[in-house]
Amino acid sequence: MRDGPRWEHVREGDELKGFSLELTMTRMVAQVSGTQDFYPVHHDPEFARQAGHPDIFVNTAFIRGCLCRVVTDWMGVDGFLSALTFQMRRPNFVGETITARGRVRKKAAGGRVDLEVWIENAGQVTVPGTATVILPAAS
Amino acid sequence: MGYDVKAVKRQWEGYETVRQWGRYPVEHEPIRRHCHMLDDTNPRFLEEGHCPPVMVDYFASLGPYPPADYDIFPVIRDIPTPGDRLINLNQEFEWFLPVKVGDRLGASHKVVAIHQRGTKLDPLSVWIRTETTIVNQHEELVARRTNQLLVHRTPEEIATGASRA
Repeated sequence: MRDGPRWEHVREGDELKGFSLELTMTRMVAQVSGTQDFYPVHHDPEFARQAGHPDIFVNTAFIRGCLCRVVTDWMGVDGFLSALTFQMRRPNFVGETITARGRVRKKAAGGRVDLEVWIENAGQVTVPGTATVILPAAS
Repeated sequence: MGYDVKAVKRQWEGYETVRQWGRYPVEHEPIRRHCHMLDDTNPRFLEEGHCPPVMVDYFASLGPYPPADYDIFPVIRDIPTPGDRLINLNQEFEWFLPVKVGDRLGASHKVVAIHQRGTKLDPLSVWIRTETTIVNQHEELVARRTNQLLVHRTPEEIATGASRA
């Protein structure tokens, strides 16, 4: 986690180590605590159902936190995350388990590395995204 | 009379808030709560006071209390739409500088585009694109964020044909 890759050592197609999180009710509470997003669709099942959703689902800040963690776990203390984009194509509901993953897509001059990042849920990509990091050189 | 999206676009597209400074400086405790919710044990964030990049808008916000004043919610709330239920669909972040505990962040929000296009949730769904600019205490650009939000009615409102605008 502390010592990330040097730009020269990165190869296109390299996988970033991902992680999984079970979206228990306790995790949903931690989500509200961690993001301070009190919009009820993320913690009040009745409010969520009234809005037409089957249940409460994790918010944007939680999702992007997962994607950010995949990248920052990998890039180490000397990397700089310069961009992150993502599309939330389907909500991730309480009771489900999500997995955040990443892969090196392209390298460019100046230490730039473009990544694919995404959230999987039951074998389906619910949140595709991209990220760009600047990595230090080996020498 | 139906919802006049053209009038709403004329009134709101290009609207920009004045910059407001975050209620609190960047602090350890919110960073730790963020990390705990994600099982993130990165010592850079937990112990060394580096702000996770995705938290800059949190610290630039007037929020989190009262919840209705959090981040771009007050702006979205004031834009006339048939429904008032929100979903954030897409987000894009660009970062230009690192942020650490003790920094002070501020943000301004701009309404970039408003469209009406039906969705599975609501045939009168409204799509609102916003841009948020975040600076530090030296007025240096720290980050830029864009959001694509969907505003929709509840199934009950759809069934009765209710519209708030």
